Amino acid sequence: MATTPLMTSRRRVVRAPEESLLPHTGNRGFWLYLIPGLVLVTFIVVVPLVWNIYLSFTSWRGILPPVWIGFANWIQLFGDSEFWESFANSVAMIVAMVIVPTVLGLLVAAVLFDLIGKKFGGRVASFLRATYYLPQLLPVAVAAVVIGWILRPENGALNTVLGGIGLKSLEHDWLGDPSTALLSIMFVMVWVQIGYPVVIFMAALQRVDPELYEAAELDGAGWFQRFRSITINIIRPEIFVVTLTCTIAALKVFGPVFTLTRGGPGNATIVPSYYSYNEFFNAQQVGYGATIATALTVVIVLLTIGFIKAQNRVEQSERSN
Amino acid sequence: MAISTSDLRRPPTTESPLKFRARRTKRTVGDWVLLIVVIAVGFLIAVPFLIIAINSFKSPADYGASGPLSLPKSLYLGGIENFWTYVNFPLKLWNSFFISGTVAILAVLISVLNAFAIGIGRVRGRTWIIVLFLLANTVPQESMLYPLYYMFKQIGLYDSQWAVIIIFTVIQSAFGTYLLSSVYGTFPKEILEAASLDGAGRWQILWRVIVPISRPTLAVLLIFFFIWTWNEFLIPLTFLISNDNQTVPVAISLLQGDKIMDVTTTSASALLGLIPTVVFFLIFQRTLTRGITAGAVK
Amino acid sequence: MRKRHIALGAILVTGALLLAGCSSAGTNKSTSGIDTNPSGKGKTLTLWDYEGDTSAMGIAWKAAIPIFEKETGAKVKFEAKSFEQIQSTASQVLNSNSAPDVMEYNKGNATAGLLSSEGLLTNMNAAYKAYGWQKDLSSSLQTTARYNTKGVMGSGNFYGIPNYGEFVMVYYNQDSFKKYGISVPTTFSQFESALATFKSHGITPLSESSVEYPLGQLWYQLALSHATRQWVTNYQTYTGKVNFHDADFTFAANTIKDWVAKGYISKNANGTKAQDAGDAFQNGTNPIFYSGSWWYGTFISGIKTFKWGTFLFPGSNLAPGSSGNLWVVPTKAKNKDLAYKFIDITMSKKIQNLMGNSGGIPVAADASAITGAKNKELIANFNTLTKRDGLAFYPDWPTSTFYDQINTALQKLVDGSETPTQFLTELGGEYATGVKQITG
Repeated sequence: MATTPLMTSRRRVVRAPEESLLPHTGNRGFWLYLIPGLVLVTFIVVVPLVWNIYLSFTSWRGILPPVWIGFANWIQLFGDSEFWESFANSVAMIVAMVIVPTVLGLLVAAVLFDLIGKKFGGRVASFLRATYYLPQLLPVAVAAVVIGWILRPENGALNTVLGGIGLKSLEHDWLGDPSTALLSIMFVMVWVQIGYPVVIFMAALQRVDPELYEAAELDGAGWFQRFRSITINIIRPEIFVVTLTCTIAALKVFGPVFTLTRGGPGNATIVPSYYSYNEFFNAQQVGYGATIATALTVVIVLLTIGFIKAQNRVEQSERSN
Repeated sequence: MAISTSDLRRPPTTESPLKFRARRTKRTVGDWVLLIVVIAVGFLIAVPFLIIAINSFKSPADYGASGPLSLPKSLYLGGIENFWTYVNFPLKLWNSFFISGTVAILAVLISVLNAFAIGIGRVRGRTWIIVLFLLANTVPQESMLYPLYYMFKQIGLYDSQWAVIIIFTVIQSAFGTYLLSSVYGTFPKEILEAASLDGAGRWQILWRVIVPISRPTLAVLLIFFFIWTWNEFLIPLTFLISNDNQTVPVAISLLQGDKIMDVTTTSASALLGLIPTVVFFLIFQRTLTRGITAGAVK
Repeated sequence: MRKRHIALGAILVTGALLLAGCSSAGTNKSTSGIDTNPSGKGKTLTLWDYEGDTSAMGIAWKAAIPIFEKETGAKVKFEAKSFEQIQSTASQVLNSNSAPDVMEYNKGNATAGLLSSEGLLTNMNAAYKAYGWQKDLSSSLQTTARYNTKGVMGSGNFYGIPNYGEFVMVYYNQDSFKKYGISVPTTFSQFESALATFKSHGITPLSESSVEYPLGQLWYQLALSHATRQWVTNYQTYTGKVNFHDADFTFAANTIKDWVAKGYISKNANGTKAQDAGDAFQNGTNPIFYSGSWWYGTFISGIKTFKWGTFLFPGSNLAPGSSGNLWVVPTKAKNKDLAYKFIDITMSKKIQNLMGNSGGIPVAADASAITGAKNKELIANFNTLTKRDGLAFYPDWPTSTFYDQINTALQKLVDGSETPTQFLTELGGEYATGVKQITG
């Protein structure tokens, strides 16, 4: 796969990065292909986004015309200590929805693909992959009910099992104790998320040339060494994709928190989206809801831009090496 | 480093590539241990689904007496029957299928066009164009509801499945554009050169060369888009007002009332609602083994 | 497991100022404008509700449909909705041409009150007069049907009509009470000693949840024990000063703290949802469950292994409770006369009796037509309450964010991170901020 002519062709691209990959055509007329996408994204995303920015300067309950109130919402937001506290929990969500699933996903994908797939057959590996992906198929509201049954303090499945194997001292009010509530939610999020990287990474691993592996093996490289120097390199693009999309999802996470703990106990598990949803639909304070949503969007967009730039830099230095 | 090359080289085979290379080496004790660990973790992941399954076949009285964790005393199909007729399940199934299927196809189409311009055409400012498309993923959905409501009401598409289809086409194609642009950015230039020497125009090259070669990636996108759209809740809830237009997840929420819920019927509804996506995933899972490809990003 | 009574009061002053002349459609109609015998030939009445098929309301309302179709010749297009869908989309739907002709909607300032103030609901004064509904409803039931121009309940025009009632009571396991020789308590101290007896036998008496509404309602009930009607009015409609450190609130907070310390309430309440708490009573784990009449049907069909009964909270004239949800007619409804006719049929003795016999609390039933000991007991308790003007609404109604705030504060009280005084100071501050948003 990674043949020499391919590598050279990639280097040429770096030297003339603004040139179309199609020879002799330049890159002018390609704009035409973007028209449907751009029209759609303008109406469905850009207009609502601008509308929201406008709404963040108004007081609005959804029906009668919005009333312009200047920066009042923004001043309230900056003084809203709970809103800022909730960002600390967003960091926990990034750990649970990005870092752990990506690292675990890499390991699981490699194990399923390399070991299980090769030694026990593709069917076993496929079956296990489907199992790991199951939580991704479950609607959040239903998932929350079941997870509640497992974690609830009285007669919960987890406590029953702990009691059954003689670890009664470990029985706990998992979601109700402030010291474990966030951790429990994080655990649930890992469960929800793990299937996504596993599936994507396993697909990506198809690209790894077994001959490359064999050559490294002959050179005396251990499994982990090969994994690090060959596998990670080859599937790096997917690692970027998974990391970015999961980070966006982590910052926007709402459903599981809302359905499992409603942000409690106290404010132990509160997240920013909880605010905006509540303001939009329970308090019907659309103006303040729009302010929170806009702030959240700004944070996510800045992170996305930074991320893509970093990704470009890494890829570029990779190419010039 | 794209799948395209590997696809061209690998002889067409009906066997999955995983199977293709299987059983080449001997199994050691360590392998067995690892297998057991992976299966055990898989079992733990599946436990909640087993709990859903056992509660789907439990009568309310049985649930009341022994809670959610015991096995049903007798097989009770009332929950499934109730849900099936109460929400007219076949209709909801068709609605979900129609919406998710249309979205998956349209979003892949849009993603291909965008990625062709960005990845192959390398239009100016493509990083910013990608960021613009990714906005669809970054904006919290709840903040889009009011503006989209007024816009779709204006053009008479409120309470229409097409409103939902259009919205999700945009949201899903954001991911597709991002991923596919990376893939096309590393498209082997030799193939493109050969095609253009044959005198093919851009449009022809896109449909006769690039799309066929990247078909495995497109298939993966199609699966993801279908499943993601299927499980969406908030936007279908808001835009599909008439019951005749509603999707499966919205139908499941009908069972959760203001203060209490019908637990066993909810379990049954979850089970029924899960089956289509699981079946869909299993049918197409072989496509996944063909792989996604992504190369260096632009 | 939805949020209970989303009682979000916050009406922005700005919103309120704008609405002055907004509720148009119904207001102009004179009494003679209501046709109490409308012909529905060729017309279709669109009807929405979010009561389950097997609930008392669901059963009764379904029975009203054929009667209505026969009397008017109209067709009914009935659609079951989810609570969540109505909750998050009501204002959008009612402002569009997809609005139904008649629908069930949550009572309270944040829901029916808000929509009425934005002109989305029809003023039903004329229909009340034409059909004479007012005489069927006791004054505390009427409270949640009328809203002033700011959308605050209790006065102003009728924007909806409640069809049933609800209240909070003590569910108890008769077998367990018998086993430990406890008789049904009639005073607060008897109730406490019953709790103590159970505890001494190693049983946690109360099934509680502080993740959702149950513990908040118990706390409110304890405060109501010695409170007056005026206290409730001040708390709910901002007509007087509310002091969170008064004797009533202090007693309630101290008692919760005390009951947790003595083990009458498990600390696990912090990880328990309302549904889990109900389950724990249902499977016999805890012998006492303090919660609302909405559980009645579930327990009737779900509890087969022991005998159970109910009583009003001992030593208190007041109890949390109110009218049920309302029938409302959207301003954009196309068949208003037919909608009123349908509502009137659901208020008829026949339908109301059916509701009572299905485990619900009708507002206008014929007492003699109710059969079944359990149904009679429920309705008798409700009538006792309304007769002594005892419906005190719910603790979270005053402000839009109070529901979450009460639960959050109670969780801290339960796990010991706040003292009762700190707990009351926190809630008092949040109450004041929320009320200020509404009254300006």
